[in-house]
Amino acid sequence: MEKLTLRRIGNALMLHYVGEITLEITGDLKRLLDAELEGDEVATVVIDLGDVSFMDSSGIGFLVSVNTRMRSAGRAFFLYRLSPPVEKTLGLVQLLQFFQILSDEAALTAACGK
Amino acid sequence: MEHAAVKKVFQAISHPGDSRKLAKEVVEYLAREHLADPDALHDLDIILTEACANVCRHAYGGAPGRLEVRLGVNPGRWVELEIVDWGKGFAGDARFENPGPDSEGGRGLYIMRMLSNHCRVDRRDGENVVFIHKDIGATQWKS
Repeated sequence: MEKLTLRRIGNALMLHYVGEITLEITGDLKRLLDAELEGDEVATVVIDLGDVSFMDSSGIGFLVSVNTRMRSAGRAFFLYRLSPPVEKTLGLVQLLQFFQILSDEAALTAACGK
Repeated sequence: MEHAAVKKVFQAISHPGDSRKLAKEVVEYLAREHLADPDALHDLDIILTEACANVCRHAYGGAPGRLEVRLGVNPGRWVELEIVDWGKGFAGDARFENPGPDSEGGRGLYIMRMLSNHCRVDRRDGENVVFIHKDIGATQWKS
């Protein structure tokens, strides 16, 4: 998946995706994240949405599923850098207050514990 | 009731891995011929993507099947869409409400309703039809 970059920052895992997050890609994203989260070493997941040009309700479902999985395991989940289309879509379904959103690099650094 | 001055039909075979293709085709046509406003085009893109994804996921049990978008345009005023399949339909299970925040699905029809002026689901003569009417302001059209 050449549009996806994974980066470890301490025991945090950061996903950066460039392009559209829709039904066509969410299954692959889930499988990839499942593999990355095997074991207990990842305490925090951050998804960088700054370069996502379009997101549909499948993308929303993916974000909710990651949030549920991380929280129920006592781990942390954050969104970082919402692009305008992503912010609009999350706002439509009233989830902007539901997710923990990191607004800048300082917040990202603090969340990743570095 | 006003009739569309422009009518056009787009067809495809739905496939779970290809839910965006037909939506993009319709939006590209609207951008080329009728609409100038990126926000209006983005709204229609989301509506069409959600409706086509519903067909891809549910109408034919995940198997390929016929998918059609019937577009009506009244230039300077509105756009209407009918997203049609010949599969199993909603069977009275169409939910237009926003589900709880922890729900992983069920937001498609809610999003379509929020972005349109009128949204309904019909079954007629073997066709399952999602109907959308969206008013679009005069300044949002190509001059």
